[in-house]
Parts: sequence; structure tokens; C-alpha cells
Amino acid sequence: METILNTNVEIKVGFKLNGLLYEKSIPANWTLLQLLRDGLGYYGTKCGCEIGECGACTVLLNGQAINSCLVLAPQIEGAEIWTIEGVADSINSLHPVQRIFIEYDAVHCGFCTPGMIMSTIALLLENSSPDENTIKTALAGNLCRCTGYVQIIEAVKKLSGIITEKDLEKFRYSE
Amino acid sequence: MTKYKTINPTTLDEALETLNGCNVMPIAGGTDLLVKFYEVYGKSLPKLVVLDGLIPLHEIKTENDRISLGPLVTFSEIENSPELRKAAPQLVQAASVAGSVQIRNRATIGGNIANGSPSGDLIPPLYVLNAELELSSVNGRRSIPIDKFFKGPGITVLEKNELITSISFDKTFENGFFLRLATRKALAISKVSVAANYSMQNGTITNVRIALGAVAPTVIRAPRTEEYLSGKELNDNVLSTAAKLIKEEAKPISDIRSIADYRREMVGVLLKRGLNGIPQSE
Repeated sequence: METILNTNVEIKVGFKLNGLLYEKSIPANWTLLQLLRDGLGYYGTKCGCEIGECGACTVLLNGQAINSCLVLAPQIEGAEIWTIEGVADSINSLHPVQRIFIEYDAVHCGFCTPGMIMSTIALLLENSSPDENTIKTALAGNLCRCTGYVQIIEAVKKLSGIITEKDLEKFRYSE
Repeated sequence: MTKYKTINPTTLDEALETLNGCNVMPIAGGTDLLVKFYEVYGKSLPKLVVLDGLIPLHEIKTENDRISLGPLVTFSEIENSPELRKAAPQLVQAASVAGSVQIRNRATIGGNIANGSPSGDLIPPLYVLNAELELSSVNGRRSIPIDKFFKGPGITVLEKNELITSISFDKTFENGFFLRLATRKALAISKVSVAANYSMQNGTITNVRIALGAVAPTVIRAPRTEEYLSGKELNDNVLSTAAKLIKEEAKPISDIRSIADYRREMVGVLLKRGLNGIPQSE
């Protein structure tokens, strides 16, 4: 990692976002969430509690679900990030996780949905046929204040028969 | 935002040199630090030393029967380590119930210790494993047993220019558990927790070590209960007496998360559950 010296208030970070390489000068005290929303205009990642309690800002960092509000921008140097904007290959072809969420009405107001979907993808990367308890544990860090949990859990259960490695491979992190 | 600096060292020497300056603070997973960040440090932001680049501090190493964890090992890495599952079951249990997936993927063992909270979930397991901490600074290294590290809530013996550089303990070939109670299963700070390590020989319990979280200014051992249990057969009478004893050893307070009476009562309940082999999820 680059050593940042002297009194710079801006730092330069290089990272991969949704498959594209970026290099960006940003305030050094920004979180990854601020970088995504305010720096790059990716508003799909939601800003909820900003203290790691709600999961609305969940993104994949090197293949793992994390709260982007609790990662400092200088910590993502060289990292690989996926947000909800990168999940579908195109506007005409939603990802199976997105399709199933729609089919099962696992979306009510929609605020928690990007985070739920990113946590679901992280779960499927580790276990493509999770049981109900595993699903509940994996999604415990994502709050849905419409309390639509039943539909969400049913949707994720349904995915275990449908999801293929091809649907997941782009999210896999290889060092 | 004007006086803020971050420094990303790639070697330990460089990190320790930087930490030796004034108003400098290390950041690992950030799950505690960034939550407090603006609240506590808003007026004069410290320089943050980002530790992520210190590769050796991410390792889990085994040498014969000794395991040493780098301070940057995450809760998820502990949870998913087949070796630790065998060698330190109580530590794995604690790592797997703390926070959420997102928090466990970032939060580190070094951060959990350095944060110094009496409710830090990895700390009671480390007490019953008799863990040793290695603290490093530009002036050298020192080793300290975990139960000498904490002075009070959020207060530790770690000097401002020091870094926890290793957490080590002997593999346990014995029994162990960690149980906790919190407002909900996920993303809640423990109201009370109990960790233990013990052997069972011909139906009697020996080598008992018990530690309690969130019921005193620091994590504490329960020496009187340990002594009482030692050599006993585990039956209902013995468990009830042990539960009564351990309630007296707890020194809880009432605060935002719970009240003292409930905490005291639950210490006994968790001890009985643990020794009866009832897992966290039941």
C-alpha cells in the first residue's frame, strides 16, 4: 500500500468496482459508503444507520459482505468491490437473485433490498444450498423495517435449486 | 476535514515508528473505531495508521501445541478455522455469535482486545485459554497474560505507541464453551457471557477455568466456583451450588443493556447450560 505522508487532505485510492478499475482522489476520512454515493454517484448502496447495525450499505469487499459505512476509504486500496449496480449484467437481464426477490415479493419499500441482495450473494458464494437457519444467520445483519422477512427467506431458499456457478463466478475474489 | 491524515505502512517497524508520533491511532477492522469516530474524535481527528498492509499480522500460526493469532485475524477467520474449532472451541463459539456476518468479516481479535470492553466476546474465551499477549513498540517487545491487560472499562495497559502483535495460547484438548445473552441473537452487545475450559475424567470435572463477561469492570475469572467444581461429579446438586456460588462472584451493574439482578441470575443459568452441554442456539 502507498504511504500517505505530510498534510495531504486528499488521498488517491485505486480499486476495482463492479469489474472496472478506478483511481480516485478523495478526502482521506471518507468511508467506502461516502465514496460510492458522494464520490461516484452509485446511490443503489443505501445509507441507513452509519454504525454497522442495519446492513443497508452492504457491499462485497473481496468476495465478502461488509458494511461500507465501517470501512475507511484508504482501506480499500487494491480491493475488489461489488455493489447492487454490478449485479445484473444489463438492464434487460436481471440476475437470478434479483428475479427471485421480485417473484417472491421479497421487496416492500425497497430500502433494505440492495443490502439484502448483496448479503444473499455473499451467502451463496459460500453455500449454494443453504438451509433456513443458515439463511437467517447470513441475513441477520440486514434489517427490513417493513418486516418482510418471511418473503425474503423464502426467496433465498428458492435460489438454492436455481443458482449456478456461472451466476456467481464474477463475484468470486481471487487474490 | 482539514487536519486529517492516514498512513498505510507495509512493515511492522514502519507502523511502530509512526505510532510513536503524537496523536496517532491504529485502525484495523474499524467496527468499533469508526462508530466512535466522529463522536469522540470529531474535534481533533487523530492520524490513523491503517494496519491492513501488515501481512504477517493476519496469520494463524501453529507450533507444536501452541497457537498464535495475529491481531488482524478476523472473527470470520476464527469462526471458519478447522484447527481452532478443535483447539479452542470456546473462542470459535464466541467469534461466531458476535455481531453480524458483515461485522465478523471486518472485526479483528486484536481490536476486540484493545477496545477493552468488559463485554468483548472474544475476551472470556482468551481468559480460560490462559492467552498471552505480545505488545510491541519502538522500544521493544513485552509479553503479558490476558488477565493483566485490562484495568477497567475501555482502559488497558497498552501504551499509546504500542500494538498488540500476537495472541497465543496452548491448544486445549479439553472441553470448552462460550454462552452469552443479548437483546437479540445478532448485532447485540452481550449483557452477560460465560466461557469455560475443563476436563472430564471418569465422570468428574477437573482443570476448571471459568471467565465472566459484562458483569464486572473487566472480564473476570470465577476462582471460588472453579475450586468448588474441581473433582466433583456433575449432577443437579453440584450444578445448583455452582450456579449459586458464581452469582456471588459476579459484580454486575445496571446499565442501558440490562440490570444487575438479571445479570447475576443469568451468570448461574449460563454456567449450568454450558456444563450441561446446551448450545447457544437453544
